[in-house]
Order: sequence, then structure tokens, then C-alpha cells
Amino acid sequence: MAEVRDPYAPEPVSDAELIDRVLAGDPGAERALYDAHVDRVFRLVYRMAGDLDRAQDWVQETFIRAFEKLGDFRGESALSTWLCSIAMSVSLNGLRKVKRFREREVALDDALPVGFTPREADPDLKTRLAQAIEDLPEGYRAVFVMHDVEGFTHEEIGRALGVQPGTSKAQLFRARAKLRQALADFAGDRNG
Amino acid sequence: MTDDELDERIRGAARGYNAPPETPREEMWARIAEARRAHASTPTGPAPATPSDARVIPLRRWRLVGLAAAAAAILAVGVGIGRVSTDPQVSSWVAPSTKGAAYRVAAQEHLGQSEAFLTLFRASVRRDGDYRLAAASARQLLATNRLLLDSPAAVDRKTRLLLEDLELVLAEIAQLSPHSRAEDLKLIRDGIEHGDVMPRLRTAVPAGSAPTQGVL
Repeated sequence: MAEVRDPYAPEPVSDAELIDRVLAGDPGAERALYDAHVDRVFRLVYRMAGDLDRAQDWVQETFIRAFEKLGDFRGESALSTWLCSIAMSVSLNGLRKVKRFREREVALDDALPVGFTPREADPDLKTRLAQAIEDLPEGYRAVFVMHDVEGFTHEEIGRALGVQPGTSKAQLFRARAKLRQALADFAGDRNG
Repeated sequence: MTDDELDERIRGAARGYNAPPETPREEMWARIAEARRAHASTPTGPAPATPSDARVIPLRRWRLVGLAAAAAAILAVGVGIGRVSTDPQVSSWVAPSTKGAAYRVAAQEHLGQSEAFLTLFRASVRRDGDYRLAAASARQLLATNRLLLDSPAAVDRKTRLLLEDLELVLAEIAQLSPHSRAEDLKLIRDGIEHGDVMPRLRTAVPAGSAPTQGVL
């Protein structure tokens, strides 16, 4: 007798089995795969987007792309890492579009230089830090968010962003240096 | 406060950066399922717009718009540097009928221009040059770089990685201003050196094909 499975129960099957079922056209497997990975993808994308509507759009796009390309997944990395690589690609492309849209309104020459935050902008570290992170070049920002905020390892970041772990480490080092530079006056204030 | 102490404070504060709310999984899944159904029922051409997939369709259209914009940029790059109609060797490259071949031609032209630009930029840094011109040129290259990165034809992983590293460098140069500090220039130089951007550009561009005009 076939076992009746609760569709909302955690999937007991492996990623490999799920992939096979999705490729065979099983819509229930698509949902199971989504359920297994959506939280991590959403967290990462939201950290990059900083906006719920945008994050939802990008997560949606991530999974649509993933289902379309699932046949190309070779299992060289964990499925979650592969999904995060798509999520980061979608997020970075999305951020570029947002930036281009904003650039139409504000000429780049009039924009503030990288990492510069007016001293009087906001004395609160979190607010200042958020602005400094926004000002990071996107590659630095991606690595910083993935490593220092979401806890990815350099190996995972390397696989997700398609760079060597050493590159990830170097970009994190430089991201931190830029943040220290942007928040230097804050450190000075704390010293007295 | 030492650098380590500041780093620790930054890491602590960063945990609250864009803190995500609870995952709206049902809402997102409804849209994904709708998009999958639309995709399955209309394998060619855009899916019909309905209220429930109103957020999905624009993404599809974005791709078409991006493709058209990329095609325009490819043409602009080719025509702009005067190579399409004047160099019979290059003209034979532009002839291929596939999207991927056209993309490779455009990417190669762009990488050649970028190599020439970065070479001149590194020289201008040593001469303490005017960065406003460099920033303007970097913005032009950045626009093409982004179109190439956004293009659905960008399937070559090696080229994509190079374009992504190049984007980082170009974005930093594009933001240079008279107020930029030596530290900013050092970070840009480090970005070029650490990512082996120049050697990879030279490898990607066949000898003798790199344009030296039209960038600066």
C-alpha cells in the first residue's frame, strides 16, 4: 500500500532525489525543494535588498531561474550553495538596476565619494554602518554580508560568487578596511 | 579604540543590517507557481498578463528589454570604434548568426577597450593625473560592462568572472573625484593587482586586436 505523505511535513528525501523528481515534472517536488531552501535564500537576498518587495521579487526570480536551469546542476557544490549563487547573481543584477535608476535622478559627479559619510549624519553606529555598507562596492558588500552578517564560509562564498576563497578573504579584508575608514570618526568619538 | 575593537563592534552591529523579517513563503510560492504555470503554457513569447502574475511578467519583460539594450550596446561598441565596416578580419567576426557569437565579439571589444583604459589609468595614477576624465571614461565602460553582464547570452563563466572583477574596478574608478584620497587609489590599484585583472584581460583579448582609441 502506498504511503500517504503529509505535503507539509519536512521532506525526508535528499536533494539529489528532489532534483530528479523536479526534472521528471513533479510539481510537489518543486514545492519541497523550495521549502527546504527558501529561508536561507530569503535571508541572504533580504540582507542585500533591504526592502521586502524587492527581496520577494528577487527570491521569486531566483527560484524560477533555478527550476529552469536545474538540469544544468552538476552537483559540484551543495544545492543550497548553487541556489545562493543564483540568488546573489539576481540580487547584484537587481542592485545594479536600482543604482542605474537612482543615477538618473542624481548625477554621479554630485554623489558622495566611496565610503564617505558626513560626520554629522547620524551618531548611531548601526545607522552609520548601514550607510557605509550601502556605499561599499558591490563585490565587497556581497562578501561582507555573506561572511560577517550571514555567516557563510569563504569556501561557500567562493563557490557562490565564482571566486577563489582567497579572493573572498581579500575582499572581506578590504571591505572591513573601508568600513573602518568610514567609521573612523566614530571610533575617535568613543575614545573621548 | 583599536582596529580589532572597531572591527568587533562593526561585526556586532552588522548582524542587525537589513535584518530579515519572517520568510513570506506562501506569498512568494504563489507567484513562483504562477510563473511556472505561465512558462509551461506559453513556451514561446511573453506570458499573458493577469493580476496574479503582475509581478512576474515585468521580470520577463526586463529580460527582453535587457536583450534589446545589450544588442544596441553591442552595435554601438562595434560601430563606435569603427571596426565593423573597416576591418575585413573583424567584419567576419560580426557576421555570425548566433546570439552567443555576437556576444563574444562585443565582449572582446569591450575587454580590449578596458585593457587600454586600465593601462592608461595606471599610468595616470603614477603621474598624479586628472581623475575626472578617468571617472567619466570608467562610467562609459561600466555601462557596457553591465549590459554584457546582464545579457542572457553571458554564459561563458570565465568571461563572466572577468567582467564581474572588472566591474568592481571600474565602479571604484567611476566614483573617483577631486576629493578622493590616496587610500581610494591604493584600493583600486590593489583591486587591479589582486584579481590579476590585467593579465586576464590580456589573455582574453587576442594580440593586436585591442583598441587603443575611443576610450580616453
